[in-house]
Amino acid sequence: MMGIRGWGSVVLIIVVAVMLALPLVVKNSFAIEIFIRVLLFAFIGSAWNLLGGYAKQLSLGHAAFFGLGAYTSTLMQIDLGISPWIGMVTGAAVALMASLPIGWLCFRLRGPYFAIATIATANVLMLVFLKFRDFAWGAEGTTIPNLGHAPLMMQFETKIPYYYIVLGLLAIALLVTWWIERSRVGYYLVAIGEDEDAAEAVGVDVPKVKRNIYMISAFLTGMAGTFYTQYIYFIDPQTAFNFNISIEAALVSIVGGVGTLWGPVIGTILLETTSALLQSWLGNSIGGVQLTVYALILMAVILWRPTGIMGYLVEMYGRRIHTSPAEAG
Amino acid sequence: MLETVVQAVINGLLIGGIYALVSIGVTLIFGVVKIVNFAQGEFVMVGMYITYFLATQFGLDPILSLVVSMPVLFVVGVLIQHTLIRRVLGLNDLPQIFLTFALSLLLMNLALMLLTANYRTVHTWYSDEALHFAGLYVPVAKLIAFVLAMFLSGLLWVFLHATDLGKAMRAASQNREVAQLMGINPHRVFAVALGIALALAGAAGSLLMPFYPAYPLVGQVFVLMAFVAVVLGTLGNVIGALVASLLMGVAESFGIQFIGADSGLIVVFLMLLTMLAVRPGGLAGGRRR
Amino acid sequence: MTDVLVIKGLSKQFGGLRAVQDLSFNVRENETLALIGPNGAGKTTAFNLIMGYHRPDEGVVEAFGQNIVGVRPHAVCAHGVARTFQVAKPFGGMTVLANVMTGAFLRHRNPQAARDKARQTIEFVGLATKEAFAARDLTTIDQRRLEMARALATEPRLLLLDEVMAGLNPSEIDQAVALVRKLSARGLTIVIVEHLMRAIMAVAKHIVVLDHGQKIAEGSPKEIIENPEVIRAYLGSYAHVPAGAVR
Repeated sequence: MMGIRGWGSVVLIIVVAVMLALPLVVKNSFAIEIFIRVLLFAFIGSAWNLLGGYAKQLSLGHAAFFGLGAYTSTLMQIDLGISPWIGMVTGAAVALMASLPIGWLCFRLRGPYFAIATIATANVLMLVFLKFRDFAWGAEGTTIPNLGHAPLMMQFETKIPYYYIVLGLLAIALLVTWWIERSRVGYYLVAIGEDEDAAEAVGVDVPKVKRNIYMISAFLTGMAGTFYTQYIYFIDPQTAFNFNISIEAALVSIVGGVGTLWGPVIGTILLETTSALLQSWLGNSIGGVQLTVYALILMAVILWRPTGIMGYLVEMYGRRIHTSPAEAG
Repeated sequence: MLETVVQAVINGLLIGGIYALVSIGVTLIFGVVKIVNFAQGEFVMVGMYITYFLATQFGLDPILSLVVSMPVLFVVGVLIQHTLIRRVLGLNDLPQIFLTFALSLLLMNLALMLLTANYRTVHTWYSDEALHFAGLYVPVAKLIAFVLAMFLSGLLWVFLHATDLGKAMRAASQNREVAQLMGINPHRVFAVALGIALALAGAAGSLLMPFYPAYPLVGQVFVLMAFVAVVLGTLGNVIGALVASLLMGVAESFGIQFIGADSGLIVVFLMLLTMLAVRPGGLAGGRRR
Repeated sequence: MTDVLVIKGLSKQFGGLRAVQDLSFNVRENETLALIGPNGAGKTTAFNLIMGYHRPDEGVVEAFGQNIVGVRPHAVCAHGVARTFQVAKPFGGMTVLANVMTGAFLRHRNPQAARDKARQTIEFVGLATKEAFAARDLTTIDQRRLEMARALATEPRLLLLDEVMAGLNPSEIDQAVALVRKLSARGLTIVIVEHLMRAIMAVAKHIVVLDHGQKIAEGSPKEIIENPEVIRAYLGSYAHVPAGAVR
C-alpha cells in the first residue's frame, strides 16, 4: 500500500490545509496572536537553522539582520513613503549585504568565539542605532503611522492577513531549506558542520559556502524584521536588535532538532506554547519566568538529547521520519 | 590636559583590574577545559549578591566577605564541573556553547524572578572616600579593588607556576593527551580550574559591591568585556588576559572621557573587531596560518 | 614521463620547531612514492604543506606543472590532488554514501550523478554493503576505506595517503596493499606515508626518507635498506627486513 513516503505526503497536505484554514475557524484573537508568534519564530529559526543547524556556525547575533531589515523598511516607509512590501525585500537585501563584512570578521574565529563575535556585532549595531538619533530616531524609536486598512502599505485592521503573510514567509523558508537540503550545497553544509578541514580536503570551498549561506540566512531574517515592525507598528533599537531574538532563533532549532527541516517548527511550537501557558498562569508580573523555563528546557535538551526533538523521533521511529539527504545519501 | 589623560588612565586601570579577574577566569577555563564559560558574568553577579546579603544581614564588609564568596564559588565551580561540564566534554561545539549559555540564561532569570530587577547597593565607610594628589582623584574603593585584584592574579600566577597542581593544569592546557599519559587526572584538574575561575568571579563581585550596584543582568557587561579581553590577550593565556583587561579598561575610560558617556562599549567592541580583522590570534597569537 | 609533483627547497617552521627543512623530491607520473621516517620527521607536515593547510616559509610546490603554493586546500583538490588524514576525519553523522557523495560533488554537480559516482567508488574500495551505515559507526579499517573512497571520488590524479595502514591487522594490511596497487594500476600517482616496511616494499619503487624534517636518503627500496643513515635514523629497527621482501 502506501509506503512511508506516501503517508508523509498525506500528512503534509493535511497540515497545509489546516494551517490555511486555521484563522477562519479559530476566532479568538489572542489565539491568532500566538499562531502568528509561532509562525514568525519558526521562520526566524528556520533562517538561523540554515547557518547554525546544518553548517554548525553558531551565530548568536542574528538580531543584527532582524534589526537591519526592520530599520530599512521603516526608514523607507516613513522618510520616503515607499511601501513596506518593497521595503521588506530591500531590508532583506541590506541584511544580506551586511552579512558580508560581518561574516568576513566573524568567520575569522571558530566555535564559541564566532558566537561571541556575532553577539558583539549585533550589540554594536544596537549601540549605533541608540546613539545616532539623527538618521533613525535614536533610543526612542518611532511608531508607524496607522493608516487603517492599507494592504499596499502592509497594514491591516485585523490580525488575519498578518497570519497569512507570516505563514507565507515560513513556507518560503521551508521551501528554501528543502531545496538546499537535496542539492550539492546541502551536502557541503553538513560536511562543513561535521569537519571543515576534511571538507576542504574533498574540494569544498568552505569560505565561499559559509558566505553564501550566511547571506541567505541574513536575507530571510531581515524579512522577519520588517514583518514584525509592521505587525507591532513600532520600532526602536532595543526591540529591533534585541538579544532575545538571537537567542530564540538558535533555541527553537536546537530544541526542535538542528539541521533538520521541521526542527525549528517543532521547537517553536514547544517553546512558544510553553511560554503562552506560563503567561496565562502567571501573567506578566514576575519577570524572568519565561527565560528561566527556556533555559531549563535548553539545558535538558543539551544534556539528554542534543539532537533535539527530531533527533529523538528519528531514534524512536527510524530514519523514515525524516532524514536530510545529506545524512542518508 | 595631561591631568585628564592621566586621570582617564587611572580610571581605566582601576576598573581594568576587575575585568582582569573575570577574564582570567574565562581564559583559564578555556585553556584547561577547552570550554568557553558564557556564565562567567553571572557568577560575578552571584558573588555580588552574596556580598550584599552578608553586608545587609550581618554587616560584613564586602572586602572581608571575600573570605566567604571565594570559597563558596570555588565549591560551586567544582560542582558545576562534576554535574554539568563533564557531560559535554568531548562533544562538539553546540552542546559546549549552549550548556554554559543556558546556565547563564538560567542564573540571570532566576535572579530576576527571585530577587527582582532592583539595584542593590552596599555603602561602606570608604565608598565615597578618595585620594587626592597632583590634581588626580582616586576613589578608595576602586583602589582597594584594583590592588586586591592584582594580588589575587599574582597568587594565581604563583599557583600555576610553583605548585604541582598548577603545573598539572598548565600541562593539561597545553597538551591534554600527554598530561594524561603522565598520570594527571584531567577531571580533577578541570574541577580545580572551574573552581578557581568561579572563585575569581566571586572575588570580582565582592570587590565591586562598594562602588557598583548588583542587579540580575550585571554580569552581562562584565562577561562581554571578559570575552573581548580573552580574545585580545590570546585564548588561554592568563597574562594576556590580564594585560588586555587593563588595556581595555583604559580604552573604555578614554572613550567615556573624550567621546561620550555611553561610548565605552563601542570603543571596546571596535577594539575587538579591529583585532579580529588584523590579528585574529590575539596579542600573543600572531596571524592565522 | 612528466613529473606530477615537484617539491623544491620546502621549509616550514612552527615557533622554534623546524618541521620541514629544505625538502626536495619529484614524483613521476603513475609512480608510487613512499615517504618514510621516524615519528615527528615531518611527513604529515609535508602533506599539509602540499595541500595548502599551511603556507611554507620557503620553497616551491608544483602539481601538474602549476605552482600551488598559497592555494587553498579545496582548490588544490580541484586541481587534482587528494589526501587522506592520518587520524581519519569522516563526516560522522553522514552515511558512507553521503560522505563519498560530498567528494563526488566536486566533479559532478547533479546529485544523482554524484550518487552514481559515489556508489562506484564505494564499490571499488569494498564498502558497498555498508553504504547506509553512519560513518561514525564504522570500524577502523572501514573508516580508512571511507577516507580513501571520499578522496577518490574527487577524481584526483595524485593521491596522498597518510598512514592508511596504522592499526590494521595483517590480513587487513594485505587488503590495503591490494587496494593501493589497484589504484596504481589505474594510472594514479600516489605518495604514501607509512611505517610498515613490508607494506612499503610491496607498493613503492621510490622511497624518500625524512628525519627531523630533512631528507636523509632517497632511492629504491634496496638502496634505502642498505643506507647507513637510514639505519641510524631508525636505530636498526628496519635492519630485519627479510631479503625476499624487496620485489
